[in-house]
Amino acid sequence: MAYTPQYGPGSTSVAENRRKYMNPGYKLENVRSATDEDLVLIMGHRAPGSAYPSAHPPLAEAGEPNDPMRKLVTPTEGAAAGDRVRYIQFADSMYNAPCHPYLRSYLEAYRFRGVDPGTLSGRQIIECRERDLEKYAKDLVNTELFDPALTGVRGATVHGHSLRLAEDGMMFDMLQRCVLDQKDGVVKYVKNQIGEPLDRPVSVGKPADDAWLKAHTTIYHSMVGTPYRDDEEALEYIKRIHSLRVKYGFMPKEA
Amino acid sequence: MAKIERSQKLFLKAMKEKFQGEDPSSLNTAFLRKGLEQSERKREFLKSGRKVEMERGLVQYDPKRCHLGGIPLGQRQLMTYELSGTGTFVEGDDLHFVNNAAMQQMWDDIRRTIIVGMDLAHQTLQKRLGKEVTPETINEYLHILNHAMPGAAVVQEHMVETHPALTSDCYVKVFTGDDEVADDLEKQFVLPIEKLFPAKSAEALKAAVGKSMWQAVHIPTIVSRTCDGGTTSRWSAMQLGMTFIAAYRMCAGEAAVADLAYAAKHAGVIQMADILPARRARGPNEPGGIKFGHFGDMIQGDRKYPNDPVKASLEVVAAGSMLFDQIWLGSYMSGGVGFTQYATAAYTDNVLDDYTYYGYDYVKDKYGGAGKAPLTQDAINDIAGEVTLYAMEQYEQFPTVLEDHFGGSQRASVIAAASGLSTSHATGNSNAGLNGWYLSMLMHKEGWSRLGFFGYDLQDQCGSANSMSIRPDEGLLGELRGPNYPNYAMNVGHQGEYAAIVSAPHYSRQDAWVMNPLIKITFADPALVFDFAEPRREFAKGAIREFMPAGERSLIIPAR
Repeated sequence: MAYTPQYGPGSTSVAENRRKYMNPGYKLENVRSATDEDLVLIMGHRAPGSAYPSAHPPLAEAGEPNDPMRKLVTPTEGAAAGDRVRYIQFADSMYNAPCHPYLRSYLEAYRFRGVDPGTLSGRQIIECRERDLEKYAKDLVNTELFDPALTGVRGATVHGHSLRLAEDGMMFDMLQRCVLDQKDGVVKYVKNQIGEPLDRPVSVGKPADDAWLKAHTTIYHSMVGTPYRDDEEALEYIKRIHSLRVKYGFMPKEA
Repeated sequence: MAKIERSQKLFLKAMKEKFQGEDPSSLNTAFLRKGLEQSERKREFLKSGRKVEMERGLVQYDPKRCHLGGIPLGQRQLMTYELSGTGTFVEGDDLHFVNNAAMQQMWDDIRRTIIVGMDLAHQTLQKRLGKEVTPETINEYLHILNHAMPGAAVVQEHMVETHPALTSDCYVKVFTGDDEVADDLEKQFVLPIEKLFPAKSAEALKAAVGKSMWQAVHIPTIVSRTCDGGTTSRWSAMQLGMTFIAAYRMCAGEAAVADLAYAAKHAGVIQMADILPARRARGPNEPGGIKFGHFGDMIQGDRKYPNDPVKASLEVVAAGSMLFDQIWLGSYMSGGVGFTQYATAAYTDNVLDDYTYYGYDYVKDKYGGAGKAPLTQDAINDIAGEVTLYAMEQYEQFPTVLEDHFGGSQRASVIAAASGLSTSHATGNSNAGLNGWYLSMLMHKEGWSRLGFFGYDLQDQCGSANSMSIRPDEGLLGELRGPNYPNYAMNVGHQGEYAAIVSAPHYSRQDAWVMNPLIKITFADPALVFDFAEPRREFAKGAIREFMPAGERSLIIPAR
């Protein structure tokens, strides 16, 4: 019998959004159109248009040993080409940003190949081969997983996910990598993810309104969103998992 | 929902002080980017850094150039912190142990302490050598010992000695459960159990000690700081041996001295911490070897506040976070200065206090009081679940509190600590308390889709399966666990809280001690430099530079 992932429990919009975003069968909604060059600039790993630096020769030229695992696992495009492993890292505001660290890691594991996600409270990093990264980054920035004001692309000095929002609604960023242009209401990156100034601003669109954020977010929040306490199904499930882990820590014999 | 008696948003006063002129529940603020100068302490650092540079001709503290290529700290408000329960506000820098003499002294006072039994030595003297041991000889022995222990000679000629003023914190007292013997000894040498403890505890402690007599030895701070915790038993044993020789007119080289030395170094000794495995490269009496149950006996909040087990537990959290997070993991095991920021969240701004008192009142209301909840998984899930939800909601309802605890590790520790402590108080069972901690971690992670740093992916995701087990290789009674317990060995934001969670059941039940009555009595001594009944107050005194430590060298260095 084929396994059908359930992705997670819960009866609220938060739980439903989590299930959608993790499910590779669900097509993420495109809400902006950052270009390949825009993303290369924000990530700051190479100059737009330059060749991909390589960590090793292309696999086709490497004379790989006769290894059944290598035959079983098809290399990604970046791995086949010998690209470096590079990263994109996000900070997500707890005030209804669409995506949050563990969910990022889960959905990346479901949706992408050859990735190494790392999960912390204030940031989440994904590392993979450079040209694969650029492809995945488009999904992570151009879709409903991203909000210009509440999601930050931050390689270092990520501080901000839990801070109050600025008066213009932007998540705090010590380095002010992106700013809200008061004239057109568009958020523009003026520094790359590690804070180096860009030659030109990169627009990532207008911040979403509160209603859109509340409908699309994946975090429970009793003041600005969906209270955790209200999702009885999710809470019951977590307690059940905990109880079963306690019980089966002792490996009981079932009747 | 339960009627809450004592949860009064205890953190609000601190929030109003920290974020002056702002509504603690407001979602927005203005980030003024005032930089370092907004902090009095940073201004002092800048001035001192310049002075150091001028004096030595080599650059030192230069944050305006060195921090993030020219963007200094203080792009948001640099907050002050209230030491919970004290009303004293300090700067974060003042809570790094390097900047806080009280914190240093707390660890000094533990590391330089050893408890040595007298019974074996007395038996050797009486049975092997046929010497008489009486209260008079014991008094004389203790008089000589308090001369010798700081580093003075008692037998040989032409000996080097230590300066009394440099070792004024060094002394030895004794205690026994035998009131008659205790009454015959000079008061200056005796720890009076009945005066130091509530009556019921004193009786229990004296019964546990019985007719045995123990020496609470505190070697000089300056010695244990120059050497290490392993020195304590060696320094102590040498001076004990020499004192026996002097007091009982023994031959310096006779074979019976070996028995006295063996008793003082091995057979009759309680170290404050076990020796660690070779890979940790630490001797006994170093922080990684302190069992959590013993730590709950060192901290004395339960003795001073027997009717407030929440406060008693919170004092353990504070002391443990400082010792295990800031000193042990932060400096012995790792490096840098980041661990202080993690650890202080648990003992500043009354946040954990509010959550824990909420849990205590929830337990009282729903189950009738401490120790009255049924010992079932459902009860654990109920208590830890409710406290976790309450705590998460406070962070949500008061964005300033969330900003105060801006790191996920801080929040995870505080929420889980409140949940675990509440479960401990409710059930009177340390392992149940630990189990409540782990449910909290799972709920927190699923609710906010984030937890702490990578370390929280380790122990906090597998704790459900080992927290209720005591079989070897699967688990251990909470009291017997410690910083080097396998899953706990390298994870900030846990160990101080665990120590409190395993102590809390005993505090709630008003047990006279957690795991070792000898340690409980030893650290009740008001003559210790650090007051172990009030760690948070002592840390506050250290932060505002009003704590006078021991082991200072000003006597032997040029006056400035």
